[in-house]
Amino acid sequence: MVLHRSALALAVLLVVGACGTSNSDRSDTVGTDDLGRTVEIAPPIERTISLAPNLTELIYAAGAGSTLVAVTSSDDYPPAVDSLDRVSALPIDFEAVATKSPDLVLATDQINPPGDTETFEALDVPIYFFSFDSLDDVFDALRTTGSLIGTEARARDSAQALERQLSALRARTDSLSSEERPRVLVLIGDDTLYSFGAGSYIHELVEVAGGRSITASIETKAPTLSEEFVLTEKPDVIVGAWGSNYDSDRLLELHPTWDVVPAVRNGRGYGLPSNLLLRPGPRLLQGARRMAAHLHPDRFGDLDRPSVRADSPISSPSAKTTAVER
Amino acid sequence: MKRPWLVGLGLGAALFGTVGVAVSVGSTAIGWTNVYEVLGRHLLGLETDVSPTVDRIVWQLRLPRAVLAGIVGGGLSIVGVAMQTLVRNPLAEPYILGISSGASAGASLFYLGFLPPLLSETLTMPVAAFLGGLASISLVYLVAQDGPRVSVARLLLAGVAMSALMGSLTSFITFSSPEPDKLRAVLFWLLGSLNGARWIELPIPALATGLGLICLLGLARPLDAMLVGEEPAQSLGMPVEALKKGIIVLAALVTGTLVAVSGAIGFVGLIVPHAVRLLAGVPHRRLVPLSFLSGAIFLCWADIAARTILPAQELPVGILTALCGVPFFLALLRRRNYRFG
Repeated sequence: MVLHRSALALAVLLVVGACGTSNSDRSDTVGTDDLGRTVEIAPPIERTISLAPNLTELIYAAGAGSTLVAVTSSDDYPPAVDSLDRVSALPIDFEAVATKSPDLVLATDQINPPGDTETFEALDVPIYFFSFDSLDDVFDALRTTGSLIGTEARARDSAQALERQLSALRARTDSLSSEERPRVLVLIGDDTLYSFGAGSYIHELVEVAGGRSITASIETKAPTLSEEFVLTEKPDVIVGAWGSNYDSDRLLELHPTWDVVPAVRNGRGYGLPSNLLLRPGPRLLQGARRMAAHLHPDRFGDLDRPSVRADSPISSPSAKTTAVER
Repeated sequence: MKRPWLVGLGLGAALFGTVGVAVSVGSTAIGWTNVYEVLGRHLLGLETDVSPTVDRIVWQLRLPRAVLAGIVGGGLSIVGVAMQTLVRNPLAEPYILGISSGASAGASLFYLGFLPPLLSETLTMPVAAFLGGLASISLVYLVAQDGPRVSVARLLLAGVAMSALMGSLTSFITFSSPEPDKLRAVLFWLLGSLNGARWIELPIPALATGLGLICLLGLARPLDAMLVGEEPAQSLGMPVEALKKGIIVLAALVTGTLVAVSGAIGFVGLIVPHAVRLLAGVPHRRLVPLSFLSGAIFLCWADIAARTILPAQELPVGILTALCGVPFFLALLRRRNYRFG
């Protein structure tokens, strides 16, 4: 009996003690991610994994790049990712992620299947999902990343810097009347016409760059457009995620009927680096400025110059603060 | 025997009407009068003042696409007829015997640049698809050979297995491709699509299908005999083995060429011949031309659906062939007392 009682007391002590340490050292933070899930994380966050290239860029912009232990095999920016370990994101390599024992995994429903969360929860790996439907979502994600990892101040500065860049661009393009705004078609592929439908941030990007996106009212999120649609909508400009060296003659080669489409007739098909258009991250503003330079070469041609382009908050890690302050 | 002629005439008229509908509807709305003004201008040399946009949509996008749908649908259907007769099994179609999947694998290998440079410079995509289909069906045929004869059961089993193998090969190639742009294009094409058909692309598939049609019409009597059985055919003095080999090469040629332009469109080659047998009987001199017409009409309608279901967008037609065809086919099977051969 005595033995039992002391064992019980010991057990109670242990439990209380465990609670005590947990309360002082591991003050769990609870957050709600963009899927509406409750995510519990235990600061300090020292080991993070990014499951999408835009999230990697956001983590660096939030000043938390040093916490990254692995990125996806598609990551190529900033250059610092070259020295990081890689995990396969599509399909997700659960084992590789779990082996790195991350404190936090960042994912986006753009790329990662939300159903994977259950497996991550079973593995006891905290995973936080982001959604990107507007430019504001990008700035919010930047701030959230900072507060999740514990670099709130830096993330806030970066987000503010990006918002300032956005309002600076908006201030220049806002004066355009709707007749002065070219009708813009944004494409992902030039052969098969993958594009952006309703609820994409791309339409906002086009608007900020001084154009009007013609696919904003298509209900499907990722539509495959018909050639007829392009012929009847007659875009003035076609912008594609085809790289800066894109030869716009290729559009006519692939779609011979487009000789009557103003964008093709006037040689106004432009390629932009796909990473500046397709990654909802800190470099979207670069994409917007370069698009503005293409849409209005006479007014905003200066926006395409490297001096303006190099002011991304994550382009030079050593001079981050100064870059952000500019 | 008046009925087959009636059926033939009816189908011919239906095909004409179908093409008429196919040029009139699409992902964008164009008035009927405009459509026929365009046709009048190009076909009859009438003077009209239709906008160049409408002209291009009708004459450069919709009409060549409808014609291609007809060629592909008709071609796949007659190949289906030939394969079903060859193996005397109602399950046979180009897809099941590994031709389509072999052709897909050949075309993907070519398109995604996985062939050695020497090969990829001398080949074109249709040739690569033809070679893929031929290699696949040849292997199936070799496996199925049992002494001097070909075992039908083995042919079907080997065909199904080969289809699976070629399917994984294609998936592997696409999955490991380093070029995302081409990858997206290939994925769309693999689902079967008539998107982007142009007049200059039509002669080759038309030639292949025409050749198939003429050859199979010429072989109508030997094919009838084959349906009764190989021994009776042999006893009638027919070179059965040569006939089998000829049909296989012909099937690979037609299917390979069609897969190269339109991707793997399944199901047409399976159901159309059966539906025609139900309506017009078994003799090949009727079955082959009527299957051609029915296949053409069927794929035209499937493509009309693919172009109109989602406004302003494209769906791969391969998704819709089963969707449109199965209910009709099941109803036919249920209603009539169907006997194969």
